[in-house]
Amino acid sequence: MTEDLQGWGVWLGLTFACVGTYACRAVGVKLSGHINQESEIFRWLSAVTYAMVAALTVRMIVLPLGLLATVPLLLRVLICGLSLAVMVSSPQRRLGPALLTGTLMMLMYGSFQSSP
Amino acid sequence: MTLNRFANRRHAFWSGIRDALGAPVLVLFAGMVGFGAMGRTQGFDVWMTGLTSLLMFALPGQVVMLEMFISGASLLAIGFAVTLTSTRFITMVVTLFPQFHRRDRNPWLYVWVHLLAMTAWAVSMREFPSIAPKHRLNYFIGLALPCWIIAPLGTVLGFFVAGWVPPAVTLGLVFINPLFFLLTFTDVKPWANRMAIGLGCVLGPVFFIWDADSSLLTTGLVAGTLAYVVDRTWLRPRPLVVKP
Repeated sequence: MTEDLQGWGVWLGLTFACVGTYACRAVGVKLSGHINQESEIFRWLSAVTYAMVAALTVRMIVLPLGLLATVPLLLRVLICGLSLAVMVSSPQRRLGPALLTGTLMMLMYGSFQSSP
Repeated sequence: MTLNRFANRRHAFWSGIRDALGAPVLVLFAGMVGFGAMGRTQGFDVWMTGLTSLLMFALPGQVVMLEMFISGASLLAIGFAVTLTSTRFITMVVTLFPQFHRRDRNPWLYVWVHLLAMTAWAVSMREFPSIAPKHRLNYFIGLALPCWIIAPLGTVLGFFVAGWVPPAVTLGLVFINPLFFLLTFTDVKPWANRMAIGLGCVLGPVFFIWDADSSLLTTGLVAGTLAYVVDRTWLRPRPLVVKP
């Protein structure tokens, strides 16, 4: 929209972001060479990673950016709860039906909102 | 224990591809379509939006980058914030790559690591225990390659359809991503990791409100360490100590 968003500054910012992201992956590879999967540090780092991924997921659901923020928080949490219930309703896990449940409910809410 | 799930490496690779062409590719595609549409509405060009997905390939970081460009942050601040969001890759790689066979742990991993995203990580962590170590790398490449290829395609598509797709559909697409990760958590077996997920869900928003940029790292360290210590101190079965 503004001219600043099209110029060389954007490309430089993109380069920084790409290099920073790849650097994290590369550091991971470097460190992984020294870690044994039976070790205590491996167990600890697994827990740290799952906590990070969980925090990221909850952030996307509870404090989303953009369109999802227009859906009431209670409804977002409710849809997640129902999808989780579908998922664990079978010991073999029902990933497809659970994803479908959540997505369709979100879709229904969206179409309900746009046609008052 | 013999794990003969795959006949050979080629078989493992194609099984990875087959597993990718379902929920993982769908989830990546949906997220990237959402990102492409977001880039369009914020006034970026199609090249920049598409290349971000190809070269950065980390959706949360990409979203942070767009947001910061719009708010007019400095380039250095953008690079720093995105890198902080991507620190999860360090531990994701460290927890996944040591599970490969010795022979596969060579400099080629610096190439394959670019294909890693949360989707492929979550699926690999679930599947690796039932795959022989020598087949794991090929399975991983088969799984992660389609996810990476679909990312820029979804982004460019999202860029061009932005505006004429009904908001309800976009809403569904945007929601698939967090929902998928939430659902995969139910497959996590070790108690330390289960507790880490629970604590991460609770502490994540708290740390986010405190300081958004560093919140993933702090949540990971605090919740993860707490879960690890509780598991080690009280839950894990102790090795039998035979007193002389």
